[in-house]
Amino acid sequence: MTDHPVILDADDLIAGYLPGINILNGCSMEVREGELIGIIGPNGAGKSTFLKALFGLVPVRDGSVTLAGEDITNLRADQLVKRGVGFVPQTNNVFPSLTIEENLEMGAYQAHKSFKKQMTKIGDLFPVLVERKNQRAGSLSGGERQMVAMARALMMDPQVLLLDEPSAGLSPVRQDETFVRTRDINRTGVTVIMVEQNARRCLQICDRGYVLDQGTSAYTATGQELLKDPKVIELYLGTLGA
Amino acid sequence: MLATLDRRTLLKAALVFVIAAIGFVAVVTLGGGAEAASADPEVATTAATTAAGGNILLQNLFNGVVFGLLLALASVGLSLIYGTTGLSNFAHGEMVTFGAMITFFLATQQPVSLPLLPFSFTVGLPLIPAALIGISISAGFGWLQDKVIWSQLRRRRVAMVQQMIVSIGLSLALVNLIQWWIGGRPVRLTTSIDPRNQYGPISVGNVTLMSMAIAIVALLGVAYFLQRTRLGRATRAVSDNPALASASGIKVDSIIRIVWVMAAGLAALGGILLALYQQGIGFDDGTQLLLLMFAAVTLGGLGHPYGALVGSLIIGIVAEVSTVWLPPDLKFATALGILIVVLLFRPQGILGKSERVG
Ligand SMILES: Nc1ncnc2c1ncn2[C@@H]1O[C@H](COP(=O)(O)OP(=O)(O)OP(=O)(O)O)[C@@H](O)[C@H]1O
Ligand SMILES: [Mg+2]
Repeated sequence: MTDHPVILDADDLIAGYLPGINILNGCSMEVREGELIGIIGPNGAGKSTFLKALFGLVPVRDGSVTLAGEDITNLRADQLVKRGVGFVPQTNNVFPSLTIEENLEMGAYQAHKSFKKQMTKIGDLFPVLVERKNQRAGSLSGGERQMVAMARALMMDPQVLLLDEPSAGLSPVRQDETFVRTRDINRTGVTVIMVEQNARRCLQICDRGYVLDQGTSAYTATGQELLKDPKVIELYLGTLGA
Repeated sequence: MLATLDRRTLLKAALVFVIAAIGFVAVVTLGGGAEAASADPEVATTAATTAAGGNILLQNLFNGVVFGLLLALASVGLSLIYGTTGLSNFAHGEMVTFGAMITFFLATQQPVSLPLLPFSFTVGLPLIPAALIGISISAGFGWLQDKVIWSQLRRRRVAMVQQMIVSIGLSLALVNLIQWWIGGRPVRLTTSIDPRNQYGPISVGNVTLMSMAIAIVALLGVAYFLQRTRLGRATRAVSDNPALASASGIKVDSIIRIVWVMAAGLAALGGILLALYQQGIGFDDGTQLLLLMFAAVTLGGLGHPYGALVGSLIIGIVAEVSTVWLPPDLKFATALGILIVVLLFRPQGILGKSERVG
C-alpha cells in the first residue's frame, strides 16, 4: 500500500460549526489509493466533524484538502460527488418522506441514465431494498436505514467512500455483514475511510487506523499495531472484550 | 398521482373531513331551527333572496371550494419555500398582489404610469397575454429575490429568525411600493360583467368556472412535478434533508432557485384569479391573505407538499360556510379558530408526520 499514490490528503484542518468555536484543531490525514482507513476516538472527538469537513458540509477555516493532487478545500458536497467521493452520514442518512427507490434515485442524481443498471447491482448487494422499493424510508428500522444509506452512496460508484459508523445500531450478525461488505467494496478498488465505535472489529479489517482526540489526529499506525498499543487500550479500547 | 402518499395519511385526512362534515350537518340542523325561530330581519332577507336555507349552505360551500383552490395556489409556494429553506416568507402575500397588479398594468384601458416617470400611457393588452406576462414577470421577480437576497443570506448562514425579519421588511417595502405605484383603490382586471349561470342551487359565473379549472390544472401540475419528475423528487429530497441532498450530488441552491421561481409564479396566478373572482384587488389584499396562507400551510402540515392544498380547502370552506350563520367580518376569525382546534388534536397538522424518535 505504501507505494500507492496519495489520493486524499487533509492537512492541518481547522473547522467548526459556530463562529469562533473550532471543533477540529489541526487534523491531518494521508490516504493512499485503495486503502481501508479506520478512524476511532472517544465520543465528541470530532470524527464526524472531520468527515463532514472533508466533504464540504462543515466550513474549513484553515488547512487544505486535496483529492488526487487537486485542491478540494471547501468545495460543495455535490461537486465532490461529481469527483467520485461518496458519504454516508452517521445520522439522518435517508430521506424519510421518499420511498426506498426514490432515495436510491437521489443517490444517482448526477448519473440518472445509469440508474436502472445501478439498481440491478444494488439488488445483488441488498435484495431486501429492491423488494421493498416502494416503502417510505421514514418507516424503516434503524438497520434498514443504514442499508438504504449505504446503497445510496454506492449508486455513483465512488472512488473514495466516507462511512460514518456504518455498523451503529445493527445486530451482531448485521455488523459482521457490514464489515465484510465494506472490506469487499474496498477490495474492488474503492478507497474507504470509516469512522467506527466498534473499534476492535474496525481495526482488525483496516489497513491503517487513526486515533482522533479533541479535534486532532493523535496518531496513526496499522490496525494490528493500534490493537496492541497499550495507550490505545487504556484510553479507548478498554480492557474488557476480545 | 399520489401513489406514494401513504394510505394511512390519506385515511386520517379523510377522517378529519368526515368529522368536520358531520359537525357541519349537526350545526346546520340545529342552527337552521334556531334561524327559523329568530325574527332577525337581515337573516330573513338573505334567506329570501337565495330561496331556501339549504341552498345558501351549498352556495357557500361552493364558494369555499373556489376560494380554497385560489388560496391553495397562493400558499403552495409558501409551503415549498418553507420546506426547502426553512424560511417563513412574510413577503409572500405581496407576491400575490404583485402578479395581479402587473396584469392590471398591462391589461387596463385606463392610462397607467410607472413610479418616478412623469408621463402616462396605456398598454391595453388582452387579459390572457397580460396575465401570462404578469406571471412570467413575477416568476422572474422570484428568481431575482432569491439571487440577490435569499441565496446570499443562506450562503452566509444567516439564522432563520434574522431571515424572517428581512422578509417582514421586504413585505412592508413591497406593499408600500405597490400602493405608491397603483394607488390605494382596488383595481379590476376586466371591465366586462361575468354573467352568472344557475346550476341547481349554485350560481356561478363563467370566469369563476374557468378560474377553478385553471387552478385545478395548475395544482395537479405541481403534484405531477413533485411526484413524477426527477427535479420534483429532488425538491422533496431537499425538503427532507438539504445536507443529505447535497451529499447525494443534488445542487441544493439550484433546486431552491427553481422553488422560488415556481412559488412566485403560482402566487401571481393565484393573485390574478383572485382579482377576477372577487372582481377587483387592492394593494394590500395579498398582505391580508398572508395570515390565511400561513394558517392553511400550518393546518395541512408545515412543509408537507400537499399540506397547503388540504389546509387551503378547509380554511376556504370554513371561512365561506361560516358566513351562513356569522357576520362575514368574522369569517377569517372562524377559520383561525378551526386551525387552533385541529392543531390541538393533531399538533403536526393534518398531513404532517409526527417525527419518529430514534
Ligand atoms: N451541528 C453542530 N453544531 C454545533 N456543534 C456541533 C454540531 N455537531 C457536532 N458539534 C460539536 O462538535 C463536537 C464533535 O462532534 P462530532 O459529531 O464530530 O463527534 P464524534 O467524534 O463524531 O462523536 P461520536 O462518536 O459521538 O459520533 C461535539 O462537541 C459537538 O458538540
Ligand atoms: Mg460521530
